[in-house]
Amino acid sequence: MPTAPNLLLSGLRLLFAAVVIAMAAGPYFLDPTEVVIVTEFLSMLVLAIMWNLLAGYADIVTVGQHAFVGVGAYAFFGFSALAGLDPYSSIPLAGLVALIIAVPAMILVFRLRTAYLAIGTWVVAEVLMLVAGKLQAWGGGSGTSLPISIVLSLGRARNDRLAVIYWLAFALAAAAMFVTYFLLRSRIGVGLTAMRDNEEGAAAIGVNITRARILCFLGTAPFLGMAGAIITMQKLRIAPPASFSITDFTVFIIFNVVIGGIGSFEGPIIGTIVYFLLREYLSELGTWNLILLGTFSIVVILIERRGLWGLFRRLLADDIVPVAHKPTQPAVVSRRLSATES
Amino acid sequence: MVDADTGAQLAVKDVSVFYGNFCAINHIDISVGAGEIVSIIGANGAGKSTLLKAIIGQADRVEGTISFAGDDIVGRSTKEIVASGIMLVPEGRRLFPSLTVEENLRLGWDVGRKGKGDIGFADIWKQFPVLDERRKQKAGLLSGGQQQMVALGRALLANPQLLLCDEISLGLAPLVVNELYALIPRIKARGIGILIVEQDIERSLAVADRFYCLLEGKVSLSGRPSEVSRDDVIKNYFGI
Amino acid sequence: MAGVWINQILQGILLGGLYTLFATGLSLSAGVMRFVNIAHGDFIVLTSFILLVLVTSLGINPAIATIIVLPIAFVFGFGLQRFLLQRVVGENVLLVILVTFGLSIIIENGLLEGFGADPQKISGGSLETATIALGDGINMGVFQVITFVAAVAMVAVLDLILYRSGIGAKIRAVSDDVVAADLIGLSSARIYAIAMGISFVTIGIAAGFMSIWTDFDPASGGTRLLIAFEAIVLGGLGSLWGSLVGGIVLGIAQSVGAQFDIAWQMLAGHIVFLIVLAVRPQGLFPKY
Ligand SMILES: Nc1ncnc2c1ncn2[C@@H]1O[C@H](COP(=O)(O)OP(=O)(O)OP(=O)(O)O)[C@@H](O)[C@H]1O
Ligand SMILES: [Mg+2]
Repeated sequence: MPTAPNLLLSGLRLLFAAVVIAMAAGPYFLDPTEVVIVTEFLSMLVLAIMWNLLAGYADIVTVGQHAFVGVGAYAFFGFSALAGLDPYSSIPLAGLVALIIAVPAMILVFRLRTAYLAIGTWVVAEVLMLVAGKLQAWGGGSGTSLPISIVLSLGRARNDRLAVIYWLAFALAAAAMFVTYFLLRSRIGVGLTAMRDNEEGAAAIGVNITRARILCFLGTAPFLGMAGAIITMQKLRIAPPASFSITDFTVFIIFNVVIGGIGSFEGPIIGTIVYFLLREYLSELGTWNLILLGTFSIVVILIERRGLWGLFRRLLADDIVPVAHKPTQPAVVSRRLSATES
Repeated sequence: MVDADTGAQLAVKDVSVFYGNFCAINHIDISVGAGEIVSIIGANGAGKSTLLKAIIGQADRVEGTISFAGDDIVGRSTKEIVASGIMLVPEGRRLFPSLTVEENLRLGWDVGRKGKGDIGFADIWKQFPVLDERRKQKAGLLSGGQQQMVALGRALLANPQLLLCDEISLGLAPLVVNELYALIPRIKARGIGILIVEQDIERSLAVADRFYCLLEGKVSLSGRPSEVSRDDVIKNYFGI
Repeated sequence: MAGVWINQILQGILLGGLYTLFATGLSLSAGVMRFVNIAHGDFIVLTSFILLVLVTSLGINPAIATIIVLPIAFVFGFGLQRFLLQRVVGENVLLVILVTFGLSIIIENGLLEGFGADPQKISGGSLETATIALGDGINMGVFQVITFVAAVAMVAVLDLILYRSGIGAKIRAVSDDVVAADLIGLSSARIYAIAMGISFVTIGIAAGFMSIWTDFDPASGGTRLLIAFEAIVLGGLGSLWGSLVGGIVLGIAQSVGAQFDIAWQMLAGHIVFLIVLAVRPQGLFPKY
């Protein structure tokens, strides 16, 4: 017997699938400004998914994820503008450089316990940004623009270029979702979820938590780097404070994931959608928009730790994208996410 | 200053304690009179520590009433409960390892019931000369038995009317346990009621005036040690 | 020539005094409560703006303004911990990191809204320009020396409070074992709040010195936090005297780095921090 929550759930799953398919064809029916906005949405979604994977599952709360976005941007510029490679192969190479930089970064910050690790990642990001400002070939402290030849190699007409960048962002976001989906459903994901919900659980499942955390940290870096490359294609410029923007690539991302629902597959998606729906109004508010988002995320943490998705989830029989292996649980109630009240 | 119905100093009436939805203590009635030694026995997981946590105000969800000296103390903070005259010797001793012996003891004095305290530092040093020698030593460096002495001393310095002891014999050599248990009647002689939780049936029944046997959160047997047979106790201890 | 380097090192040591003022409060709160208040630097900047308003609107001496602010800072820190942070303090640090992170962004943008992005400074009057000449081109600013003395005094006083007072023993007890503290009626929530109150007093003092020493703007909280954090990790987490050493190491690194190239100032500090983290993650004077 299909109950109301089950019907709603099937409806939402259908809607999700339909939107994904429609988005694949985005440039055919969206006007250029919309294409630009959806491209931004997709790259922000990638960042949100990655931050959620680390903070919501792997117990790595980073406030320095803009580091790898910036590294990706600078590496992309290096490969395409300086080394003269074509922009398409420069994207995965930018991801690779982010991965390579992530190794020493990880070795350093993993020496710190979770509470301190957060700030350790920030230090690393700060160092990378300052170093980027010293690279004269990259324009030093003031940065530089992407050569026009590279821009033109993406397409002669502006609309063609926008479509190409759109599809690149779409492909990256789709890959990010696929990878996290399968990772979370794998033994590693189950182990991480068990660790998050209950420390002893993970050991019982026999998953090596340290290895799982290393995998997550290193796994997110190339995605962040490739996102940085795609963002650079769109912005056509690199500059230390803009390419390593803590506000755009970390602060907003954290707020979006917290508001959408940390530690769930749907959370980052919902948070990013809500942010883009409100963005028109929020940008009119100027600095108030960050004040508002910050306040709202604190309220979310105090009232419903699983965010908007946590609220909405109560109406449904299951997650839209079921990554948890016990779908009958009313919610992914996590003991570690629910702090002890005094 | 006693419970109206039972005349006891501590009266646990129809109390249930929950961890989430799990009911660890299930409609229990227990009482301790002034200067009475009451023993709680039961297997692992029977709910003994949970009961003590509920009395001291550290259980999340408690139903029923716990009256002490005539007042219902359910919902009061541990700070208030301790100041009103109940003190716990926690399971596993729970000293503060980086604090010195003296600092650990002083914490008991600080949180305790105000008024004319019978027991002072001098009594503790006299009772436990080994601690006197190690006043300035970090508690974490003491032996298990010495740590238990500090835990007991800390509780006594709080000037309690009711002492809750959770498995004070755990992990200690028999000789040390003998020494600690020898103190129980002397504490009682000062008019302090004592609720002793132990897994060691022989030991705790030997000093107790009355006992309760817990089984899966319920009282399975109670009475005076002299009035029940060993077989009965064993049966109700394991539930077989 | 040697005089230049000796002078840079001396300036670095004095700068380390300012950094120690940033760090001690963070060391206390992180050591006791096992979480890092990400808004620590922003609270220093916020307090500096409050001092600026007091000094300019009432025309009072910055030192008096700071003294007025300290009790308010204590009450504020106490309340912040008791009524907001305590609700998310627990086994998972994620929540408390996120709440303090949110606070940090709110403060930064609130200040931006109220005061604009321009750098501000409080004038220290003649004290600011007075110097002690030691010859060979070596000079010490009087205000810098006073700051350094204040930093040493602050560490010493906090050390006394923590290791010689009743409340200090309670704070250490809660830091050792929160559950045990609650079991014997120590009320960890209240003691945490007191520790945070003390941490905020140090924030007030740090703000008093910083607002005269350097420019500050709404966005400068982040760097203050990073410096405080690096100082406490360098010194060894939980060690108050360690954070003095950590602050001095950072100060020297920055000052010597700036001598090579002014742009190297910040980077030199971070790099020394990362090197120490790599070879000696427990810091120079580990407590735990
Ligand atoms: N914090 C907790 N959360 C959930 N369940 C708990 C918690 N503490 C205890 N329990 C459960 O409550 C029941 C009673 O536990 P309690 O510690 O009171 O037993 P006990 O009689 O003291 O056992 P032991 O002799 O081993 O100390 C057990 O089933 C235990 O698993
Ligand atoms: Mg027990």
